[in-house]
Amino acid sequence: MKDVIVIGGGAGGLAAAIETHQSGKDVLLIEREEFLGGILNQCIHNGFGLEVFKEEYTGPEYADQFIESFLEEKIDYLLDTTVIGLRKENDVFFVKTSNEKNGIQFFRAKAVVVSTGSYERTRGQISIPGDRPYGVITAGSAQRYLNIDGLLVGKKVFILGSGDIGLIMARRMKLEGAEVLGVAEIMPHSNGLTRNIVQCLNDFDIPLYLSHTVTEIIGDDNHRLSKIKVSKVDELFKPIEGTEKTFEVDTLLLSIGLIPDVTILDDLEVEIDQRTKSVKVNQAYETNIEGLFVCGNALQVHDLVDNVTLESQRAGQAVNRLLDKGKGDLSRSISLSPGHNLGYVTPQRIDLDFKQEFITLSFRSSKKMEKATCKVFQNDELIFEKKLFFVLPAEMETIQLPFDKIKSDGNISVELEVKS
Amino acid sequence: MYDFIIIGAGVIGSSVAKELSRYQAKTLCLEKENDVANVQSLANSAIIHAGHNPEPGSLKATLSILGNKMYDDWEKELNIPLLRTGAFVAAHNKKEEKIIDELLDITKKNEVPEYMILTGDEARKIEPNLAKSITKVLSLPTTKVTYPWEVAFACMENAIINGVEFLKNKKVTAIKKQADFFEIEVNHQEIYQTKYVINAAGVASDDIGGMIETPPFKIKARKGEYFVLDRRVKGFMNHVLYPLPSERGKGVLITPQVHGNILLGPSSEYIDDKYEARTTDEGLAYIKKHSVELADDIPFNMIIRSFAGIRSTSTCDDFYIKESKNHKGFYYLGGIESPGLTAAPAIGPYLVNDVMNVGSEFNLNSKYDPKREPRLEFHRLPWEKQKQLLNDDHLYGRIVCKCEKITEKEIIDAIHGPLGSHSIKGIKKRVRAGAGLCQGGYCEEKIIKIIARELNVSPLDVEYDDLQSKLFKEETKVDE
Amino acid sequence: MKKEFICIVCPRGCHVSVGEDMNITGNQCPRGKTYVENEMTAPTRILTTTVRTIFEDQPRISCKTDNPIPKELIFEAMKVINHIVVDREISIGDILIENILNTNVNIIATKPSRKKE
Repeated sequence: MKDVIVIGGGAGGLAAAIETHQSGKDVLLIEREEFLGGILNQCIHNGFGLEVFKEEYTGPEYADQFIESFLEEKIDYLLDTTVIGLRKENDVFFVKTSNEKNGIQFFRAKAVVVSTGSYERTRGQISIPGDRPYGVITAGSAQRYLNIDGLLVGKKVFILGSGDIGLIMARRMKLEGAEVLGVAEIMPHSNGLTRNIVQCLNDFDIPLYLSHTVTEIIGDDNHRLSKIKVSKVDELFKPIEGTEKTFEVDTLLLSIGLIPDVTILDDLEVEIDQRTKSVKVNQAYETNIEGLFVCGNALQVHDLVDNVTLESQRAGQAVNRLLDKGKGDLSRSISLSPGHNLGYVTPQRIDLDFKQEFITLSFRSSKKMEKATCKVFQNDELIFEKKLFFVLPAEMETIQLPFDKIKSDGNISVELEVKS
Repeated sequence: MYDFIIIGAGVIGSSVAKELSRYQAKTLCLEKENDVANVQSLANSAIIHAGHNPEPGSLKATLSILGNKMYDDWEKELNIPLLRTGAFVAAHNKKEEKIIDELLDITKKNEVPEYMILTGDEARKIEPNLAKSITKVLSLPTTKVTYPWEVAFACMENAIINGVEFLKNKKVTAIKKQADFFEIEVNHQEIYQTKYVINAAGVASDDIGGMIETPPFKIKARKGEYFVLDRRVKGFMNHVLYPLPSERGKGVLITPQVHGNILLGPSSEYIDDKYEARTTDEGLAYIKKHSVELADDIPFNMIIRSFAGIRSTSTCDDFYIKESKNHKGFYYLGGIESPGLTAAPAIGPYLVNDVMNVGSEFNLNSKYDPKREPRLEFHRLPWEKQKQLLNDDHLYGRIVCKCEKITEKEIIDAIHGPLGSHSIKGIKKRVRAGAGLCQGGYCEEKIIKIIARELNVSPLDVEYDDLQSKLFKEETKVDE
Repeated sequence: MKKEFICIVCPRGCHVSVGEDMNITGNQCPRGKTYVENEMTAPTRILTTTVRTIFEDQPRISCKTDNPIPKELIFEAMKVINHIVVDREISIGDILIENILNTNVNIIATKPSRKKE
């Protein structure tokens, strides 16, 4: 039996595996693709690592730092292997895997770290009216085809959604010879990092249409995308009549959000947070099922890989602690929820017997705010506050909540406030 | 010279092809699309109706009541999926309850084998999510749900095994009547000769008829839009829920699907361009508005996609299954709208035996085998069987689509099967790779590589659906 | 002519204007001024892209400029990069093109070629 099985060999899985192996645990990492590094392999742009390495890396370079350490540690791993079942019986996890070489296998472990990343929202989930031609593709898929396989999905491109992948792909497709006609964002603010707006759009004169959305998709006789209609929207996101523009395109890239991929947990009775669309965890990234940890984009969508690494290292440390010291009394816990101006907050639960100096709270604001204060209330009483210079929904924030400020009962609410 | 040419490989054309394969005859089926069942048969509610609706005595009534029973045989012979849901027709007030009584009358006249009247509360005991406003329900236990694409696929695969030829991407462009045979021109270039023509062209059946005469009916296409809920909602509703029928058809339904998803829809709208299967804001809003009349707390947040389908309503009230008045040997299967899918198993035999009397001219095919082996769904097999298959072929171990747990071997089989496909959409229809939560985000790239490898072509030649729909525009960095 | 910039030094994203008399307004801190001065006089960028390879299982390998190059040379640099083909095993940091367009900047690999097991 393994001490730990890590599912997913991207930034999160690598960090968690290294963290646990370094403290002497017997670890197995399982990766679905034929290579380690996950999505970083296709993120060939730079801007990674400023937090963790104080240096600016491209995605593959950042991944390589961890792949090298991982290989040096001589941690067991399986590539091109899919986990097709996960269950727990009498304190033991059974991980069912399938691959070409060994067929179907079962592995047992004391703890499991799920770091399976996220998947892209597709057209169906936002119901854009119109035909169903080919040429409507998620930005991440187009990125993979272009950067890994060298295949260009289109020559005349429009992008819906100003998520970072969409912005990055606007520049990439332009550099590789496509015409990029614009980016439409339904919100009045961009969902991507400002520097991506500047360096991916402004540098190449690609217009960003804020408060706009695609209202119709039109295909040609060969079922290829030929046109899209874009309209300005009002505060309720309803298209405003008379603002419609038509763009002749062969490709519409969708950059409309990522959703944590925790389908692997379908057979387990995990608690789901409708806000993060993932599982609820405690401050150690442990779900309501003891020994089952979730971190990285599988827990919450991050905009910086550095945060994935740090979070997964913390999850790894928590696994070590569980395996070394055994479980505490986890019956005493309090819940955490997002209050005013917060989109979500993790963790959703604090286990009081799992003491640590600080608890890292991660959250996103629901709107752009300047000189905001993050306030933590317990039973309507302010127990901690921190000034934040500037917050944007596009950028995840983290604060360190001192453990000793937390009282032994009463639920916690986290809010953002601007002094008027 | 062919004995029979069937134009169109939808559910109806395929049912006819299967029926004709019982005879020693040279039969060809021409399909303009890149696959069977790509238009009307692909996008509909998938319901096998009990028979509470069609006018007693009509072909719609007789063939659909018979068809409903025949699906039980097809389930065994052809291994098509059936979900025995039963259905509730729901009334909300005294006025609507009167209509339920009228439907009950039709149900009895049509000799529907089972039916029951329930109060709203009784029905809610069975379906807790049924809208609280519902006061009375007509329960129809023989209503079932299938996967219409697979019905056509199974029929055609069986027909091919029994000797029928099937050609896809063949659009009929002209028909000429010669002395005692027909010349069918395809794609403006090839000519096929045949003694008999069977026009099963669905939405295009009036245009096909128009190639030799003034067709006896016109197709007035109606469009229906739908929402698909992810299969994680399985169990939210186990019965097909009908509102009361109106002049716009059967109304917005809630329909559990064989793969666990739930359909909401259709909207219903007459359209001028009968190939324009396009979703609209209005249509989708209409579905949301009306589906809540049937169920409370519908999980709209679980919508994974929307689509629109075409129904070929004709200018005659009933199915039009007749020989041309002017051209002997030319047969129409026109206006096969709802309950066409239900009637499909009965329509083939009705045309071939009752209308055409094929048995008087052709001998039975002694090698005819009514069985069609089911598609192997590796991850639903018992462990012992899986172990044995894994021993024979390691590619059963390689998962390509993780949402639906589809292996590489299953995809290879779908490419090379008797009715194989090498388009992304064709593979999706055959093995459901890419039909799950991520809608192909993870596996499409892998499927493209498998298709390219199996056909020994470049990924640049891999198609999404039809021949022109190449997935990629170009390879980068290869100019000059 | 008035020119508009969005400062990317921090997440605040100040909209900074430069007037005809070269006076800079809209920046909320001195770092914004420095940023805009650079953008006005000699804007440079790190270019990240891919190169073709002869490896069937890895048809492209990612690469970048090891230092920023003038912004206006980006498309010209792409042309040069698009013409080379990697035909040997490489490691991260290996120079693929030396001194591209006489900028004293090299194109280096950001990914190793996949090792055969």
